[in-house]
Amino acid sequence: MELHLTSEQMLLRDSATKFVAAAGAKVARGFRDGVQSFAPSRLREAGELGWLGILVPESAGGLGLGLTELALVLEQAGRGLVCEPIGLAAISSAALAQGPNPHPMLEQAMSGTALVVPALQESGYGGNPFQPRARLTTQGGASRVTGKKLFVCADGAEGFLVSASSANGPVICYVARNAPGTTLSALQTVDGRKLSTLTLTDAPADIIPPNASSKNAVEALHNLALVALSAELLGVMEKAQETTFDYLRIRKQFGKLIGSFQALQHKSVDIYIRTEATRSLVFQIAANNTPYRIDPALAAAVKAKASDDALVVTQACIQLHGGIGFTDEHEIGLYLKRAMMLSSLHGNAAAQRREYVALAGLTE
Amino acid sequence: MFRRDTTAEACFRLDVRTWLEANLPPALRNRTTRPLPDELMPWYHALSRKGWIAPHWSQKYGGMGATLNEQIIMTEELGRIGAPHLPVQGLNHIGPILMEFANEAQKARHLPPILAGTVIWAQGYSEPGAGSDLASLTTRAVLEGDHFVVNGQKIWTTWGHHSDWMFALVRTDPQAQPRQAGISFLLIDLHSPGIRIRPIKTIAGDDEFSEVFFDDVRVPAENLVGKLHDGWRIANALLGHERLATSNPQFSLMALERIKIMARASGIMADPAFQDRLAAISINVTALAALFSHAVELTNEQRSPGPESSIIKIFGSELLQDLNVLLVEAAGGLATVDRPIETEFGEVDVATPFLQARRVTIYGGSSEIQRNVVARRVLNLPN
Ligand SMILES: Cc1cc2nc3c(=O)[nH]c(=O)nc-3n(C[C@H](O)[C@H](O)[C@H](O)COP(=O)(O)OP(=O)(O)OC[C@H]3O[C@@H](n4cnc5c(N)ncnc54)[C@H](O)[C@@H]3O)c2cc1C
Repeated sequence: MELHLTSEQMLLRDSATKFVAAAGAKVARGFRDGVQSFAPSRLREAGELGWLGILVPESAGGLGLGLTELALVLEQAGRGLVCEPIGLAAISSAALAQGPNPHPMLEQAMSGTALVVPALQESGYGGNPFQPRARLTTQGGASRVTGKKLFVCADGAEGFLVSASSANGPVICYVARNAPGTTLSALQTVDGRKLSTLTLTDAPADIIPPNASSKNAVEALHNLALVALSAELLGVMEKAQETTFDYLRIRKQFGKLIGSFQALQHKSVDIYIRTEATRSLVFQIAANNTPYRIDPALAAAVKAKASDDALVVTQACIQLHGGIGFTDEHEIGLYLKRAMMLSSLHGNAAAQRREYVALAGLTE
Repeated sequence: MFRRDTTAEACFRLDVRTWLEANLPPALRNRTTRPLPDELMPWYHALSRKGWIAPHWSQKYGGMGATLNEQIIMTEELGRIGAPHLPVQGLNHIGPILMEFANEAQKARHLPPILAGTVIWAQGYSEPGAGSDLASLTTRAVLEGDHFVVNGQKIWTTWGHHSDWMFALVRTDPQAQPRQAGISFLLIDLHSPGIRIRPIKTIAGDDEFSEVFFDDVRVPAENLVGKLHDGWRIANALLGHERLATSNPQFSLMALERIKIMARASGIMADPAFQDRLAAISINVTALAALFSHAVELTNEQRSPGPESSIIKIFGSELLQDLNVLLVEAAGGLATVDRPIETEFGEVDVATPFLQARRVTIYGGSSEIQRNVVARRVLNLPN
């Protein structure tokens, strides 16, 4: 269903569509197994368009927009299999800007000249993101953090926003990549890019004070990450299904276009319904929550739904293509792989559902 | 559900909740079959006197003219208290259609009694030989002077035997090609001579629908809505409203509450495998609520969701069935019991709502037909 957007929001979406026109499956393929996971110049371009500061208040030099605008941009990024980590950079900028005084890295992060990414996850299954095992200690005004973070999008990053537990509860702190006590070890991902394990041993850290409206900075950034990933997953499934429906309109078997077979039509409708449900959920949540205080049950709900649906949709897309869909050469597989990546990050569907039981008070 | 109420909305919600608590008779709460008119209509009349019977009708026609958010709040509060299903053929179906297609005299005559609940309407579309293939309908209406003479049969008419009027699709031109071009939209007084109505018992044990026979029934020509032979267009506009209204998340929210009570009572709530399924389904209820408010938003903007309302119908109806499957699972052995089950958390009926839920993927255009519609008209897949 068409979205209910203001004219400014439509303009924003149009500019995101233009940006993405220069991306797409071919470009994403080019970054596979390469030295670099993305093009720094494109990240700066996104910065120039204002997207990396999309949630940052105008007083701190950002666009001061909301979750709907973030979702509109990331939906397009998902469609274009964009490799630049626009979503992670944008939510990190929002986090850097959230205290009474923005962190000194904010300006570079917003302009895309330095990439800052969240480092929140501590276990493959999700763990308890709200109570990190990483510890932050403060002595004589200087803070240090010790812990281990998984699946960090560290390629090309200058610094990290690390979640940790402190004497005052959960905190987010900034740790520079080249800080003492910081080591990274990279893993090759299914879509040919890299994610890293970040090990921190008494690494110097700057505490980022939370936004006044947040419960705490960890919850705020985690929930923001869930909504951002969901919006990107939405774009991935949209583009995958459109590519597939196009194929159903040209491929012939038994002397007929295969899109005329009722079995395939009904399967197509099933995946379309999933995409539409995820879209409505993403945009209704975006419209009804503020960036620094997203309802945690809804954040878990949308990530669970988007993760599940994106995998179902992209797998069905392979099936509807037949043999060509199983080849490395065909682009449809790239969408499945991107869906695998994004749906697994910050807690997959099963992990989100487990959180949701408690967050929504289901058993009470 | 994913909104936080503004102060004004929170006040409205409190008003609705307080009033419902004070005025909805406990015997009418959490019913799994629709109560009979003697029991149900006083509740309809109470809502009507309060001015809350038609939140979605504009004030011009005596409705509440409620904002989108107020409509959703009412839905949520009605679901929360377990309000019974009202007869909606008047409120949700023929009412909006008359507003769009009828002449002033027809509106003046028929709209007020719908609001007041003094006239109950039935939908006369399906026939024994014309279900999914509705355009093959054969109930014949022949214009003789200032009257149509109607002969034929309708079936599966919800509440037909309790109704006063029927809006019917009738064939006025048997030769027309395509067949759709020979169908007209007629309002028929069910108390007219020549009409015979027989209730049909459903799988859930109630007489929810009926068959209606027409034997030389004389219907004044002024009861034609729109132009002669132009009924198909009207019927289809009506289906859009129907699909949206029947996909209201209220029903899924009620089903979810029922599952939670049953699961606590049976003890399965402590089982993490069950919790996972409950979380998954409850997330889908949230998604339905999102789809629904999205569609209502578009409708309020006069940008009807069109054939995409089929998507909500499919998602909402199949979700309701999944919910009832989970209810049966939560009940375990108690699912065999053919009456409401007393638990320490309240009374829960299991078998009846499970059986009732089978109908939602059949009426208003079956799930298969909806998928055909979406495949062709939304996805533009080939024929
Ligand atoms: C509880 C209830 C209340 C109802 N109330 C009313 C009412 O008030 N007024 C009214 O007019 N009608 C009413 N109906 C009737 C309803 O609209 C019809 O039952 C429905 O349109 C299906 O028609 P049918 O029963 O003839 O089934 P059929 O059309 O015979 O369908 C049988 C099966 O075949 C499938 N099928 C048919 N054609 C296709 C196709 N082209 N492709 C794939 N599958 C297909 C169907 O989906 C179904 O599964 C009600 C029905 C129910 C169950």
